[in-house]
Amino acid sequence: MAIGRTIRDEFDWPLFIAVSTIALFGVLNLYSATEGGKTSDAYIQQLYWLVLGFGVAALTAAIDYRHFERYGWLIYGACILALILVFVLGKSVRGSTRWIALGGFSLQPSELMKIGLIIALAKYLHHDTKTGGRTLADLVIPGLILALPMALVLLQPDLGTAMILAFIFASIMMLTQLKLRSVVTLLATFVVAAPVTWFYLLKDYQKERITAFWDRLGGTQADLLDSGWHTHQSLVAIGSGGLTGKGFTQGTQTRFRFLPDQHTDFPFPVWAEEHGFIGALLLICLYLFLVLWSLRVASQAKDRFGAVVAVGVGAMIFWQTVVNLGMVSGLLPVVGMTLPLFSYGGSSLLSTMLGLGLLMNVSMRRFSH
Amino acid sequence: MITLSQRREVGEFRKRYRWMALFVVLVFGGIIVRVAQVQLFQQDRWSGIAQQNITKTLELPATRGVIRDLEGRVVASNRPSYDVYATPRLLQPEDLERIGSLMGLSEEQSTALKTRIEDLPPERRTHQIELYRDIDRDQLAALETHLAELAALDIITVPLRDYPYHTLGAHLVGYLNEVNESDLRSAADASAYRPGDRIGRNGLEKRYESLLKGSRGFRREVVDARGKPLRGDRPDSLEVEMLRKPVPGHDIQLTLDMRLMEAFDRAFRPHPSGAAVVVDIHTGAVRALYSKPVYDPNEMSSGLSTRRYAELTGDPFRPLIDKTIYETYFPGSTFKVITALAALQDTVVDPMQRVECNGFIKIGRQKFRCNKRHEWVDLYDSVVQSCNVYFWELAEEVGIERINRFAEAFGFAERTGIGVNSEAEGFLATREWYEKHYGAFRIGYTLNTAIGQGNTRVTVLQLALAYAAIANGGALYVPQVVQNVRAPDGSLSETFQPRVKRQVGVAARHLDLIRRSLVDVVQDEDGTAFRARNEEGVRVAGKTGTAQVVSRKGRSEESSSAWYLDRSHGWFAGFAPAEDPQVAFAVLVEHGGSGGASAAPIATWVMQQYLGEPEKTE
Repeated sequence: MAIGRTIRDEFDWPLFIAVSTIALFGVLNLYSATEGGKTSDAYIQQLYWLVLGFGVAALTAAIDYRHFERYGWLIYGACILALILVFVLGKSVRGSTRWIALGGFSLQPSELMKIGLIIALAKYLHHDTKTGGRTLADLVIPGLILALPMALVLLQPDLGTAMILAFIFASIMMLTQLKLRSVVTLLATFVVAAPVTWFYLLKDYQKERITAFWDRLGGTQADLLDSGWHTHQSLVAIGSGGLTGKGFTQGTQTRFRFLPDQHTDFPFPVWAEEHGFIGALLLICLYLFLVLWSLRVASQAKDRFGAVVAVGVGAMIFWQTVVNLGMVSGLLPVVGMTLPLFSYGGSSLLSTMLGLGLLMNVSMRRFSH
Repeated sequence: MITLSQRREVGEFRKRYRWMALFVVLVFGGIIVRVAQVQLFQQDRWSGIAQQNITKTLELPATRGVIRDLEGRVVASNRPSYDVYATPRLLQPEDLERIGSLMGLSEEQSTALKTRIEDLPPERRTHQIELYRDIDRDQLAALETHLAELAALDIITVPLRDYPYHTLGAHLVGYLNEVNESDLRSAADASAYRPGDRIGRNGLEKRYESLLKGSRGFRREVVDARGKPLRGDRPDSLEVEMLRKPVPGHDIQLTLDMRLMEAFDRAFRPHPSGAAVVVDIHTGAVRALYSKPVYDPNEMSSGLSTRRYAELTGDPFRPLIDKTIYETYFPGSTFKVITALAALQDTVVDPMQRVECNGFIKIGRQKFRCNKRHEWVDLYDSVVQSCNVYFWELAEEVGIERINRFAEAFGFAERTGIGVNSEAEGFLATREWYEKHYGAFRIGYTLNTAIGQGNTRVTVLQLALAYAAIANGGALYVPQVVQNVRAPDGSLSETFQPRVKRQVGVAARHLDLIRRSLVDVVQDEDGTAFRARNEEGVRVAGKTGTAQVVSRKGRSEESSSAWYLDRSHGWFAGFAPAEDPQVAFAVLVEHGGSGGASAAPIATWVMQQYLGEPEKTE
């Protein structure tokens, strides 16, 4: 330990405050979104989850992250095992098997997998001897690290999480100095892979959502009762909020249940309807801060593991936020993506908190030796 | 002590953070721009949809104005029709079977209902649709008891038009039926009519549509996405009109007297077809406008089957045609008074001069026959006994131009201006017309014109108004069928004053002579309507007429009725009471033969019912 500097001194207050604020907004929003409905006590449950989440984050932050580096493969392996267990013990919700019951509550291993993937990639890059001039060959092993969990998640099927795993992977690999030629080759591969995904991997309802999205972009009003309906009602909620919003618990779109999954996938329209552009801007800026801050933490990390973990966590939050906001504001198709910290849901909150705990961990230990 | 691995070089990553930060800022910037676009620039549009989302609009139909007769008897009003509506999205398959059994539908009807629901496009499934209209009491009772279990179903009470007098006055009153594409397009106010609404299609219902209709109201309910009404807790941001009461239509009071109409209906029982008009001689108010046969407007309103429509159009007695104003007839001898007045006013004739009637006259090689040999008759006698020979002699003196001029003055060959339905103009043939159509003009045409044959065609209403002018001293009125219009609160919104079209230029003494002769048509034992007189009670004055029918030979009429359809029409036109005229009338019995035997008894009996002590016994 450095003289004069304790762990307590290095506590990352901006990170803590940003995270706490978003989480608090999320609880308030959840209260409004579920008030008077069947799940009106969801916000209390979410508070329990938050307490648990902060506890997990604190614990994760307290243990020097080099321990996570040491047990990196074990953690990754445990996550893979949990994903396999989904197919054995899992329960089906709306056609996909994502959950396993763990005592009194349900756990979504695919959420934990995001952290597992970040740690595994961090460990790999940490021990990689290369410091530049990477070619495609250098992507083979990280690629395999991604491919295994991604395949399992796609089988559930959970397109959204699989996509986030891929985005996390891509973001992390962008850190390394890949040769231009390799990047081009990679892009070409994606062009080939896209149609294969469309015709062989996507389920009908997933295709339908994507088609509805393109239909809307093309101006043909797609059937408002199905996929397009969700986005349409979401835009109605956001748009009718105006500059200052309709007021807390006063959103009509929310109150009359026009928003689908308004406490899980569509909490942002609820927020935007009731708090207007001012509230929406505040929330978006909090996320922006969080992501930029994670980059700052990465840049100050004392080793590769720490830097990769920080970028990975930042990427996880960034992509989920962007996909969720893009989806509810009609810029992206509806894929079923939660808004980190803000959405209702234990598993997603826990994995986010785990990630943020790691981020805090890296941030606090940037000067230690 | 756990051995931790060594630190690794992080220099490789350093160059990337700045680009990553830039990318992050750009992407978030894009989202902010999008949210700003939706919230700040498109707010109005989305707010509008948000409000529509949570309101359900229930139509409140307006009560159509009531039509009453002179004495306040209801001629057209409304009765409730119970219509079944359903929201397809909320219908369960078992609901359909339930509805079927509750309403007592046949297998076939149930299947039809099922197909209809299944075939609905998705966007129509959230909107209420009409399943059945005007269900009967048993069905209503059965459905109402189980309405709580059938969330998708609504029973809506809609006023339906009802015509208590059925066929009586049906042409004039008119009927309603469903609006069509062109009605919807031509409506001045786009929201005035919706598909499925009813619109006045004929008669007064059409003429006064805008007044009778009223305007619909609505009640809005705040609902959730499932369409269930929420009570008492609507968000403050909702600022829409929640209730607009429907405004009932204006009520119309007619000049018609339905008791008089009923009397005509009774009097016409022996005859399959005919028409009668009664007008007030001092105002031109129409007291009766009777045409037989007629369809039932109740039947027309509920939609005719093609077969029934074919039946109506194929009926040789033409129930679709209003014989009082839309059909024209030869006036026959009822026209003689016009010829006589033309002669008198222009002093072409000395009324005291007598002419010998031998039963015929010969003009050139043509022989014109009178109805009998009248011996020596003057003008007065000729009217009373309807001597053709006298009028033929007179016609040569008077000439066709003068006859036409006076006929026009009395309102013939000109629309009366009653203002309801289409009205025939009638026709007076001129010398030029004969030259054009018959090659040359011959004196025989004038002779025919003088006695109301030839090519002179009049409507029953025109004839009644002409006789009203004779009775009142020469004032030709514009006929009126509507007395006043009342606003829904009962206040008078419009009263129609009598309108004189013109004063006919005939001296009072000539009119008086004609009136006296018309009295004796009935009272004198030589009069053509003597046998139709009321021996006690109301004295009626008038002129009989028998109008030849254009031969229907060659037309594909059923042979059983052909002989009848070739019979002449019987006329009787005049006024009553004889000494102090109040009303003028024209009665036409189609194919009734002589007017004195067919039309006159109807007129005298009805006038007795109307103006005198009504008969105590049937």
